[in-house]
Amino acid sequence: MKYRIIHKTAYRYSEPASLSQNEVFLEPRQTPAQRVAQSRLSFAPEPQYLHRRTDYFGNIAHVFMVQHPHSELAVTATSVVETIPAARLCPSATLPWETVAQRLAVHAQPEALAAFQFTFASPLITIHPSAMDYARPCFPAGKPVLEGAMDLMQRIFTEFVYDKEATTVDSSVEQVLADRKGVCQDFAHLAISCLRTLGLAARYVSGYLETTPPPGKPRLVGADASHAWASLFVPDVGWVDLDPTNNLIPGEKHITIAWGRDYGDVTPVKGVVMGGGAHDLTVIVDVAPQK
Amino acid sequence: MTDVDAFDPTESRSAPASLFDRVSFPPEVWCESFSSPAIVRNHWRPLLSAMDAMGADLLGKRQARVRRMRHEDGATYNLFDDPSERRTSWALDMVPLPITALEWAELEAGLIQRARLLEQILADVHGPQNLIRDGLLPAEVVFANPNFLRPCHGIQPAGNRYLTYYAADLYRGADGRFRVLRDHGENPAGLGYALENRIVISRVFSDLYHHTQIRRLAPFFQAFHHSLIERASLRQEDPGIVLLSSGPQSSVYFEHALLSRYLGYPLVESQDLTVRNGNVFLKKLAGLEPVAAIFRHLPDSGSDPFALRRQTETGVAGLIQAAREQRIDLVNPIGSGFAGTPVMPVFLPALCLKLMGENLALENHPAWWCGDEDGRHHVLGNMGQLTVAPAMDRSMPIQAADLPGQIRAMPHAFMAREPVRVSVSPGWDPAGAGVRHTILRIFVCATEQGFAVMPGGLAISAPDVDALLGDFPERQQSKDIWVLSDQPVAPFSLMDGLETATIVRRGSDLPSRVADHLLWLGRYLERAEGLIRLVRSVYVRLSGEARLQDMPELSFLLNLLREQNAIPRVSDNASPIPYFRDLWSQLHEVLYRKDTPESVIGLLNRVQAAARNVRDRLSLDCWRTLNRLEDFADISAGDPLDHLEDTLFTLSAFSGLAMESMTRGLGWRFMDMGRRIERAMNQTGLVRIGLHGACAASKSGLEALLEVADSIMTYRARYRTTFQPAPALDLMLMDEDNPKSLAFQLSRLSDHVEHLPRRTDRQFASPEERLVLEMLTSTRLLDLTGLTCGENGITSESLTPFLESMERNLKAFAQHISAHFLSRVPTTPHFSMIPQSKTD
Repeated sequence: MKYRIIHKTAYRYSEPASLSQNEVFLEPRQTPAQRVAQSRLSFAPEPQYLHRRTDYFGNIAHVFMVQHPHSELAVTATSVVETIPAARLCPSATLPWETVAQRLAVHAQPEALAAFQFTFASPLITIHPSAMDYARPCFPAGKPVLEGAMDLMQRIFTEFVYDKEATTVDSSVEQVLADRKGVCQDFAHLAISCLRTLGLAARYVSGYLETTPPPGKPRLVGADASHAWASLFVPDVGWVDLDPTNNLIPGEKHITIAWGRDYGDVTPVKGVVMGGGAHDLTVIVDVAPQK
Repeated sequence: MTDVDAFDPTESRSAPASLFDRVSFPPEVWCESFSSPAIVRNHWRPLLSAMDAMGADLLGKRQARVRRMRHEDGATYNLFDDPSERRTSWALDMVPLPITALEWAELEAGLIQRARLLEQILADVHGPQNLIRDGLLPAEVVFANPNFLRPCHGIQPAGNRYLTYYAADLYRGADGRFRVLRDHGENPAGLGYALENRIVISRVFSDLYHHTQIRRLAPFFQAFHHSLIERASLRQEDPGIVLLSSGPQSSVYFEHALLSRYLGYPLVESQDLTVRNGNVFLKKLAGLEPVAAIFRHLPDSGSDPFALRRQTETGVAGLIQAAREQRIDLVNPIGSGFAGTPVMPVFLPALCLKLMGENLALENHPAWWCGDEDGRHHVLGNMGQLTVAPAMDRSMPIQAADLPGQIRAMPHAFMAREPVRVSVSPGWDPAGAGVRHTILRIFVCATEQGFAVMPGGLAISAPDVDALLGDFPERQQSKDIWVLSDQPVAPFSLMDGLETATIVRRGSDLPSRVADHLLWLGRYLERAEGLIRLVRSVYVRLSGEARLQDMPELSFLLNLLREQNAIPRVSDNASPIPYFRDLWSQLHEVLYRKDTPESVIGLLNRVQAAARNVRDRLSLDCWRTLNRLEDFADISAGDPLDHLEDTLFTLSAFSGLAMESMTRGLGWRFMDMGRRIERAMNQTGLVRIGLHGACAASKSGLEALLEVADSIMTYRARYRTTFQPAPALDLMLMDEDNPKSLAFQLSRLSDHVEHLPRRTDRQFASPEERLVLEMLTSTRLLDLTGLTCGENGITSESLTPFLESMERNLKAFAQHISAHFLSRVPTTPHFSMIPQSKTD
């Protein structure tokens, strides 16, 4: 599939801000499952400073600064991305999860070493016994790793309530586990935490998802949102994405922007302003299929 | 390391009845000074015999002097807030720790090798990461290590130097060999204390110091400075180097200020710096000034709230971006804290062999990493004999319950050490000679050739090993380390070093934060003086023989105090003079009540707080004088009147010193402006309140008014008559020759305002210029004719509105100055919304 994605983030400040520094992860990265045909950032007002780099995880980061007084700030990313249908997976043929954990611990192969860094706690994802207890039933001895992970995804999907009001950017995995509700970011964090407690390598993926309108209704422009899911390292197969919010293995309709250990590594837009008083944030995302 | 002393045949018995002989040194650890009871090691002999020759009494006095000097230099902190908690970091024990030239040479070579090795490791971890790929460094040590900062990966630091400032803590074990206990990357503390210790000890034992061949510290600081200049290819005449401090709340803030003064790098805090266009700037009154290098005394994690921890307020947002763009030289580069990872030493012997083809010269303290199977096995099998500690994150709490279970669950997070048996050395405390466990913190800096080691350092000591190994400077003591030299030492005084290193000409411009604190320092000083003068006038009257009711001016003075909210107001029909006992306790509160800024102690507290924030701007003498203020907190010290006199004297001494020793730059202007604003306000208020009471009953009220306005001498000298309202008011308000008059303050303010920097071309007068001109003109034009002095006080048609508008204008003037020059804008983080997509 080919998509044109528009992602606009706008701030309005109650008082003029004298300096605004921002780091954004908005340019989708090239992956085996997607080709980025075009990606462009535009700003209002125009920043005095703009810097693009590839970060530690291979994502594209932009840093920009607006250095004169301004009371509004908007950054818009427009990308055209072509996604490729996912290869057929055979979960029952994947290695037993204990073998995977063992391979990671030894990390003899370069891929295993690269994946190894996603087995540890990270700033927003703790490794807590409660996550281990939650994950355990999905992973009986000898369970093929992907089957186990899909069971886990299914359980999160059925046992947790999607609730926008329940959590904040800083909600911890323990809190989500206790409350049994959250948003896609929380479910991704929870799934990752569960997998890591077993010694498996799991990373956080930030991206978009094409939403399908109800039958008979036209597609609403701008009603989409950014999305997040988890990804599991499966030896001999590679990284396999898992979307616990929707209980599915992402395919053509998922567009990846960036990945890292958790939300903190790939926050789409974050910044620091001097002054500005209270701020008001609007985010508009539009994922439009192209012919 | 070989022990040169143990078999030295030239050792001899020291003079009998030595002060230190009687101290019993524990036999199971190495003793620095004695090879066996009463046998002094050679290199300690001159020191101990000199001390013996002085005798216990004199030594006791010297130690007291050491404490006083350290205190007056400001090494004590938290002093005024709670005098019972007068604390100091690394209190100085006057007995130095000598090290022989031979032993030092080995330590020096070993530390240089270690710094080179750690720098190579840092370069690899922040670059290609071959070490983990080749299995030389366990991947967990990077991936699971909070000291490894991913945003810093790929940053190439200035001059390609990944470690430019480093310190190691060493101890000497029971076998007499030195071992490294821990390494400090990011921002090692203690360099300033080592410098201060040397300054104090070389003065207290100046004879001994100058007759012993001791390596000097100054060349190290020069090397540090020169390589910094060289590295950033900075222009020598305008280096743009600052020392970034975490601020006065740091327990080692003293050393930030000392190093700043010594090296000539302005002392700044995070909010003084800003990043624009990828460059770092210092915010000054006149605008932004580029910064090329930062001597950073903030931890890695608190250095950039933008890229690192978003919750922290400290740090300079964008600093990492500036480093990424190679626009700033940070000493140390952010991320160097990785070198101080607790478990790192375990891997150094193998890494040294592999990377440098040499054996690691300095041994480590025996330790095991649980992430390694052999290590874990050893640790679990010897839990009773080992101390378990976090392997990566020093701040990780260790729960005592089921330690083996915790280790098995997350082995890479744990390590264990053998108990440390630290050597002992003689020390001195108020009770006399004693025994101290002592470790050495030695400092290393990058030079063009590689690294240089400071010949000396901070010997950290404590009566027990637990206190010694914790990171609590206030529970430890310190000693000067004397590195003995075989050759005569070049007469390289510390002060010479200071002048050579300080080629920096500080511009007259200064950071807004500093100007703000100086303004308030001036205001609080003046306010404190004014209050003390007023309270003193009351006490003087109370201590006389007259009955309270017979002193009409007393109620006038008390009304002045009430006007300042210093004592409770009375209802209209009550007597203005309370009972003696009540009055006495009210006055006691005016002096000593701590929970209000209106008391004398409250004001002195604020004076000190403001001064602490600008201590690098104050001369040492000024600082010492200010430190004497805390004597005021000692209530037991007798008569309040004496107490007030002493404090007033100290404040005057400070003002005099400040006038004499501060250059007439902007710093001085802001402090003086603060003083003038406050004095003008005080004077105006005095006259306004005085108008009512001053003439009542007798003229003694007028006399009292002149007395608190500090103008009575001038009045007597000039008029030699009885007290008349018109000349008195003329003297207090309009006489521009009287330094206490309102007009004098205004004309000074007018001069200051004219010299403040302005950002735009001068076309129109600024609001503060217009205000000060208006105030000055109205004062000069004030008409005092037609004054009458009667039962209702002084009446004059023009005076009351004049005073009221003056008070308003002064307040507006102060606000304009703050808004124009000193405003500090708060910073807030913002994030995009939580992703929230779900298909149904």
